[in-house]
Amino acid sequence: MIRLENVTRVYRRGGEKLTVLDGLSLDMEGGKFYALMGPSGSGKTTMLNLVGGLDRPDSGHVAVAGEDVGALEGAALSQWRADNVGFVFQGFNLIPVLTALENVMLPLSLTPLSRAERRKHAEFALELVGMSDRLSHRPQQLSGGQEQRVAIARAIATDPGIILADEPTGDLDRDSADQVLGLLERLNKEFQKTILMVTHDPAAAERAQRIVNLDKGRLADDPREGA
Amino acid sequence: MLPFSYTLRSLFVRRSSTLLTVFGIGATVAVVSGVLALRQGFTTMFSDSGRDDIAVFLRPGSTNEGDSRFRRQLGDQLMKSLPEIAKDAEGRPLAGMECYLAILREKTSGGKTNVAIRGIQPRGFAVHGKAVRVVEGERFKPGSDEIIVAKKLAARIRDCRLGDVLVLNTTPLKVVGIFESDGPYGSEIWGDLDRVLAALNIDNPNRVVAKMRSGTDVPALAKRLKKHKVYPARVLTERAYLQSQTAGLSVTLLVLGVMLAVIMGLAAVFTATNTMLAAISSRTHEIGILLATGFRPVPVFLSFLFEALLLGLLGGAVGCLMALPLNGLETGAMNFNTFTEAAFAFRVTPGVLTTAVLFALVLGLVGGAFPAWRAARMRPVEALRRA
Repeated sequence: MIRLENVTRVYRRGGEKLTVLDGLSLDMEGGKFYALMGPSGSGKTTMLNLVGGLDRPDSGHVAVAGEDVGALEGAALSQWRADNVGFVFQGFNLIPVLTALENVMLPLSLTPLSRAERRKHAEFALELVGMSDRLSHRPQQLSGGQEQRVAIARAIATDPGIILADEPTGDLDRDSADQVLGLLERLNKEFQKTILMVTHDPAAAERAQRIVNLDKGRLADDPREGA
Repeated sequence: MLPFSYTLRSLFVRRSSTLLTVFGIGATVAVVSGVLALRQGFTTMFSDSGRDDIAVFLRPGSTNEGDSRFRRQLGDQLMKSLPEIAKDAEGRPLAGMECYLAILREKTSGGKTNVAIRGIQPRGFAVHGKAVRVVEGERFKPGSDEIIVAKKLAARIRDCRLGDVLVLNTTPLKVVGIFESDGPYGSEIWGDLDRVLAALNIDNPNRVVAKMRSGTDVPALAKRLKKHKVYPARVLTERAYLQSQTAGLSVTLLVLGVMLAVIMGLAAVFTATNTMLAAISSRTHEIGILLATGFRPVPVFLSFLFEALLLGLLGGAVGCLMALPLNGLETGAMNFNTFTEAAFAFRVTPGVLTTAVLFALVLGLVGGAFPAWRAARMRPVEALRRA
């Protein structure tokens, strides 16, 4: 369960104030696949960052499974992120000097697992995304779709409850995008991951179970809400 | 902790800037260790060559033989009456008076320099023993206008090769031998005491040297002779005497080394800082990922600091490689205690190399601290956004 309560986030650039989220309140069920839509600047990514504990609201509360994420700080917040959230970004964001396997093993080094166990977990995650045959490839030796699949494997390696995906198909061709969306669906259905995916693409949003439409930092009407 | 391979490969990926920094640090380390090796060579030459069984007698109050004067008669009395002085097979004391003066001579490479000339008595060779070895020609004959020249000087100073005639004031002195000595004698010219005194128009010698009986308590003897009614003297072992002669140049070289270390070190630190800042700015995204994934600022800080430390270590290794060929290379420098040219070799010792590597590590550490701190305090959202 993810609960946003009267959340406001204001960015200040120079002397200018920009209200990105404007008293947003929203409940999202755990184990569901949500698509966040809305025009640029509507606050989608900011909402994702707040849920993932990368950003802090100026007012209001963000609670994930009962934990007030906005109140966590420093090491506790880092640990919470490591335990609960996996991130997938539009630009894949793999570490270029590490192989696919090493990229996936990276978040596992924050766990008490032994090296052999970390390797096992990482190999399992890569198998899940269909990248078992590319373990020792560096990111630049992979296609965009493959990179994103490795990034998804990295996000799920520590088995977090929530996957936050910011435009995961934005840089991909149709087929690769389709594969990535299929993968997210599978993670939701088979492994009961809660998925929040920011997207501009209506076709991608169709794959989600719920669509949250944002506009100017508030909730717009969701035609499918309650359907 | 972030994996070691991440740090190592990140350095390797930016090969050209890594190499540039490594050579920057390396050059600094090489120059500094060069000066240290010079200092080491100088101190080693003096402190390793002095012997504990030879005593040096100076006039009370003088700090080196240059400003000491011994009346011949008192010197003779001292040598003959001190029971601590060892005797040769015929029962004569193994001791001798010596005169010592710095004379201005022309260098073969142009310019002038002060060279030490020492006059010794016939038994002087027996006192110094193997410390002075004639390797070409022969020893000068007692009472003759002959001299022997240290091998290190023969090529550096004019009229000093075997067979040459060196004119001292108006006295021509013939070079009949070339000798080797590991210590400061290895930069001197030696001749007969009386002939050298006459050539220099001086009456009295500068010091007495004597081989002591084994078990002689030199400090006790020093205490006894300090206020002796007939022949007061300042007594110390040859080793202690030579060590006291290195202070001036040793300090100068140390100051020079520190100055170079500071000036060149600053430049190297800036290079390292610049390299690390460039690395961090091109890897902002990566840092964002690491922080978002749950890595805390401290491991990120340590990872980048470690990268800078590796840069330093590589620089130190390169610097040592550059400095190693200096080892054994001979050079000359003015010894400010005696105001004479001292010829000695660079000595790149393990101690010098250790100091060099530690210095390089400090350069890396100082250069990397600020960039690593900047990387660690990035906010993940901002780091990720700056694509």
